[in-house]
Amino acid sequence: MSLVRNPYVAGLAVAVLAALYPVVRPDDLTVLGLGFLTFVFITQALSWGLVGGYAGQISFGFAAFFGTGAYTTAILWSKNGWDPVATLPVAGVAAMIVAILVGLPVFRLSAQYFSIATIGVGEAARVIAINLDNITGGASGLNLPFNVPDKSWFYWAGLTLATITFLVSAWIRRHRFGLALFALRMDQSAAESVGVPTAIFKNLAHCVAAFFVGTAAGLYAMYLSYTHPDQVFGFDISIGMVLMNVIGGIGTLWGPVLGAIVYFPVRQIVLSDPNLVAVNVLIFGALLIFIILFEPGGLLGLLSRFGVVARGGLRLRPQDAGAIVELEPAASADDEA
Amino acid sequence: MYDLSNIATLAIYSILTGGLYAAMSYGLALVYGVMKIINLAHAATMMLAAFTVLTFNRWIGLDPILGSIVVLPIFFFAGMGLYRVAVRRVAAVPVASLLLLFGVWLVAQNLAYIIWGSEDQSILTSYTFATIDVVGIKIAVIRIIPFGLSIVMLAILRWFLANTDLGRAIRAVSQDRVAARLAGINADRTATLAFGIGTMLSAFAGGLLTLIFSFTPNFGGVFQLKSFAIIVLGGLESFAGVALGALVLSTIEQFSILIPGWRASLVNLLAFGLLVLTLVVLPGGIASLFARRRKVAE
Repeated sequence: MSLVRNPYVAGLAVAVLAALYPVVRPDDLTVLGLGFLTFVFITQALSWGLVGGYAGQISFGFAAFFGTGAYTTAILWSKNGWDPVATLPVAGVAAMIVAILVGLPVFRLSAQYFSIATIGVGEAARVIAINLDNITGGASGLNLPFNVPDKSWFYWAGLTLATITFLVSAWIRRHRFGLALFALRMDQSAAESVGVPTAIFKNLAHCVAAFFVGTAAGLYAMYLSYTHPDQVFGFDISIGMVLMNVIGGIGTLWGPVLGAIVYFPVRQIVLSDPNLVAVNVLIFGALLIFIILFEPGGLLGLLSRFGVVARGGLRLRPQDAGAIVELEPAASADDEA
Repeated sequence: MYDLSNIATLAIYSILTGGLYAAMSYGLALVYGVMKIINLAHAATMMLAAFTVLTFNRWIGLDPILGSIVVLPIFFFAGMGLYRVAVRRVAAVPVASLLLLFGVWLVAQNLAYIIWGSEDQSILTSYTFATIDVVGIKIAVIRIIPFGLSIVMLAILRWFLANTDLGRAIRAVSQDRVAARLAGINADRTATLAFGIGTMLSAFAGGLLTLIFSFTPNFGGVFQLKSFAIIVLGGLESFAGVALGALVLSTIEQFSILIPGWRASLVNLLAFGLLVLTLVVLPGGIASLFARRRKVAE
């Protein structure tokens, strides 16, 4: 039983099981394609969780990293003749550079203000990408070469990336770095007073997250053989990362994985159904409201109610958050007293 | 190419737009002051108000200026309702309220797409292209009226906050929630009221924006970012700071056309650029400059 509780063992076991699928059914191209995209989304969700979940800095601007990564791969591959696989680490580093440029000023803000500023980050990145039309292809997008590996390759590549992200996320949780992020999430001044360099750690988490998002975006651009600013810099990319974490359980290790596995198929169904596509934002927005009001712990929170897993993660219910928000007495029902 | 009268025109337009921006941003600042939460539904409110004004205009030919005033009670009560039903349950946890209000924004945006479609909408009135001549400079009427109304609105609000019990309660809760409660102020009721007023101000600005700009269900987002840049520049809770921040942003936006090779599509980046610059150079906003000077003077 203790092996199951060990996140490294559990994560690797799930990954090995998932890796067997292309061996068993190498011709099931639909599932392999969907599997690859799911792994891209899991990578995104886990990365976002490092900043939004562990450090409690809700970002609505992660599309900036996704777009940067996608365009780095796209340009190096189609215009400079690089091998696409060799562009992936460069895509990650490019996203990391953007993360530093964004993080240095924006992390000066308190958590909530950080969130709004990141909406601007995502929008600014998209507008810049559209206006740099000689590099990015502007509003007409950029077509990429079609000589890509087969779907099994993408499936395994995506799985490998998602697994590495998961292991890094698990490692951070157990390491002093993760504890420092939890501390600054709960009380930034208190964390600073015990010597946690909060600004450096927030930026560090941001960089690690951006690296994985950028790499995943590079793979994604390879897979689609096409990039467009509205697609890879789109606000829905950023919203998706928030939603996957909220659905699964924000601030937990497995929550983003679970959230991505639930969110991605639902998103595919909603976007491909002509009746539902017009209301897709409505569905996800309502889901967000519903989860925050009734089960802020997401799916993992729901499971913990039945004793399947222990309660953990970001405490979003006022009654759980007593220790965190002592500066602001609860404006909830007891205020009447 | 740019003579003195062009510069004067730009300066006048900066002031006129700044007034509207101040009214737009103050709702956000007020809610932050009392509840310490960022009202991400601000964008949704501005957008819904714009479409409500449009609907009244199409339906009974209601003038958009009158429309902006008519919608105020609707949004005042809608804001209070939103606070009582949802925000209040999670108001103690800023992250949760942020996500909740973000969800409200998404839902409102999608509802607007369903009801009004995604086309660019605009309201044309008999005075849309009218101008007034002031010492040889032509000024559009649709810029002057929103400015005047915004100033009146802010004056009323300032009077309300300074001279009524409810207004004083709002200020007391902004300054120190615990002390305000000890003095017998019902912080919850005050927060409800502040949320209603904040929503009403956003709606007012949204309604007036229809005079000047065309809009889609997406349109609140840009102005939300502008409001945010303004209140960060203004020092978050300072009334004068918000007004000054609004003026700075509108001046930069108006004068940006003088930059060689400038593209109009980049205008909305200026708010974000200003925000980043403020954070790097002046993290406390304009108000901190005055505070520092005052300290030196003492």
